[in-house]
Amino acid sequence: MGDATESTVSGVQVQHGDHIDTIESVDFVFRAQRKLSFTYGAIFFAVTLGIPASSVWWKGWYATPIWGGFTANYLFVSLLYYIFLWAMAWTYSKQADKLDLTLETMADEIAAKAGKEG
Amino acid sequence: MNTIAIVLVVGLILFTIALSIFSRRFTRTTADFYLAGRKVGSFSNASAISGDYLSAASFLGVAGAVYASGLDGVWYAAGFAGGFMVVVLFIASALRRFGEYTVADFAFGRFGSNRIRLITVLAVLLTSLFYMAPQMFGAGTTWTVLVGKGIFGMDPYTSGVVVVTAIMAFYVGVGGMKGTTLNQIFQFWWLMFAMIMIVVFAFGNGFSYPKALADASKTPIVNTKSMTVADLTKPDAKTGKTPYDAAATIMTPAEMAKVDEAIAAGDTKAKVAVALPSKNKLHELRDQLFNEPGHRYNSFDQFSMVLALVLGTAGLPHILNRYYTNPSGAAARRSTFWVLVFIGTFYILAPIAGLAGIAFIRDYLANGGTIAAANVHGLLVKPDQIMPTLAEILGGQWLMGIVAAGAFAAMFSTIGGLLIAAASAVGHDVYEKYIDPNASERKRVIVGKSAVLFFSLLAMGIGLAIPKFGLDQAYPALIAMMVTWAFAVGGSAFVPMLLTGIWWKGTTERGATAGIFVGLFGAIGIILMNILQTLGVIGKEGIIGFLGSLTFPVLFTFPLSLLTIIIVSKLDGELPKNVDQIWMRIHGTANERHEKQHGLDKVGTMFAKK
Repeated sequence: MGDATESTVSGVQVQHGDHIDTIESVDFVFRAQRKLSFTYGAIFFAVTLGIPASSVWWKGWYATPIWGGFTANYLFVSLLYYIFLWAMAWTYSKQADKLDLTLETMADEIAAKAGKEG
Repeated sequence: MNTIAIVLVVGLILFTIALSIFSRRFTRTTADFYLAGRKVGSFSNASAISGDYLSAASFLGVAGAVYASGLDGVWYAAGFAGGFMVVVLFIASALRRFGEYTVADFAFGRFGSNRIRLITVLAVLLTSLFYMAPQMFGAGTTWTVLVGKGIFGMDPYTSGVVVVTAIMAFYVGVGGMKGTTLNQIFQFWWLMFAMIMIVVFAFGNGFSYPKALADASKTPIVNTKSMTVADLTKPDAKTGKTPYDAAATIMTPAEMAKVDEAIAAGDTKAKVAVALPSKNKLHELRDQLFNEPGHRYNSFDQFSMVLALVLGTAGLPHILNRYYTNPSGAAARRSTFWVLVFIGTFYILAPIAGLAGIAFIRDYLANGGTIAAANVHGLLVKPDQIMPTLAEILGGQWLMGIVAAGAFAAMFSTIGGLLIAAASAVGHDVYEKYIDPNASERKRVIVGKSAVLFFSLLAMGIGLAIPKFGLDQAYPALIAMMVTWAFAVGGSAFVPMLLTGIWWKGTTERGATAGIFVGLFGAIGIILMNILQTLGVIGKEGIIGFLGSLTFPVLFTFPLSLLTIIIVSKLDGELPKNVDQIWMRIHGTANERHEKQHGLDKVGTMFAKK
């Protein structure tokens, strides 16, 4: 990996060339990332488990044709579920990229601050 | 024997070999052999992951499941696709940022012990073998259907297993990850092309999705089965009625006359195809219609099946290994998005093919057409034959050839990924770390290639053993069943360790090791009990009987493994001394920013000359 690590007063930092991560900045972004991933995860599992739950208990969902032979159950599982997955994956990736950018900005600020003090 | 199909399959094989030989020139280091030099772009990697993931079970099995079971078959496809959400949300970028070669490397780097690396290697090998078994079985059965003849004195099934093994050992051993990646990209797009062609030909022949679905749902689903005369005429202990009586309520007098003829011949072991009424397992008082759930799964299995597939996907080592070939964590996320687009499109199309098969095959047979596949009451006896049969009806020998080559492409791409995963577990995780850490690059690559050969032969042995143990007779949909087992083993062994290792700093080495152990052997134990119960070795009573009846063990073994990790870690409390450094390696981006600054994150140089 070629990383150089050193302890600092504020904890630990990892340096790759000119770029530094500190445990504080990584922890901050980790918490934001965890919130993002687990929020999306909760939505994903709620929808994914909501499908069989509806198949078991909601007659209007599984037994009423709404378009030709399509029941709401069939239409969602055969088509709309994939659109839901694509939308989730796309928006999640964009938001996770933004978080990476936040870490980058934070790290640059830390490096600049260290440069001024040094 | 279909000449055009065989020519296209042979063409596919030759092209595959040519790509491997081309890639050989660019495979010099272990990073080249196992990871394609970490230079695979998001789109290419997504194509390769999709090829890795879409096996014979998806290409032949999903359309077959929809053809036979309607909505429950569609639900099965959705479960396969949903698994990648767990990967993108919780695993993909962290695994790539950690920047190693294999899942075992991650376990070692995260928890810092040889013990956890070795048990992870064992789990990788067992999961890979569980997943290789249905691919090899698929190779034998596809050869039997397509070619119908053996070579060098072998029967057709053995010929298929041996030929596919030889091709796979050659092309993975020669081409390494670069050759395998290139092949998987090509193979994925070929099988996607085949699926699109089937659907385009169906619509071109007047298929209307909503109307066909309405027509298929007018009357209850009919099951088809090949039974011995003895079983057909055996009365049920409770009702006193025989399957023959049930068949007579569905089949026409002309169809029953053929059954009567087989019974009259007096051979009780002779097999005869019959159509039987279906039962709704979910809503017992309702007829089982095509557009309603309940043909395959009862209320418990509606949940457990999808959880098994969703959690199991993130535990497939050949899929996880591919994430290390991305140039960055963000690229790993983008790759997964494209995987979802590719396989989602595939799984939207496959149920259309399954539904189209019902009307087209029934009408074709009713108009006097004949097909090679066994059929009764206008339906195929083996639903897995829907793709080649429908292709032949819609587009003649050429379309059937394209589909047949697609089936082999699906097997090749998945087996290739599994061989690389198994070889890297032995060559990289064991040989390079413990046996000869100072080995030269050349020697390491040779060991990797030898491991490919070894696991190819092992997979061949498993493929040949399956019919000998009677598993193909015991399980009507064996390929789908065995794929589910692999998902259960990987999902139980790896996913709890990966999730806690990435998201909970308090996970300890003892906790993670115990979790892998419990998940791995818990899942394998339940699967073995299920096999023994199905073969009639153990009964259905008591706790053993209950565990043996579980079709999807991951619903029990995943939480058990997760709970084990949490409890043991809490009791243990001994974190690695450099846990903060490890944490920054998983969640920090300094290395990626450094690579970006110096242009080291660029892709497109997978085949650059050194």
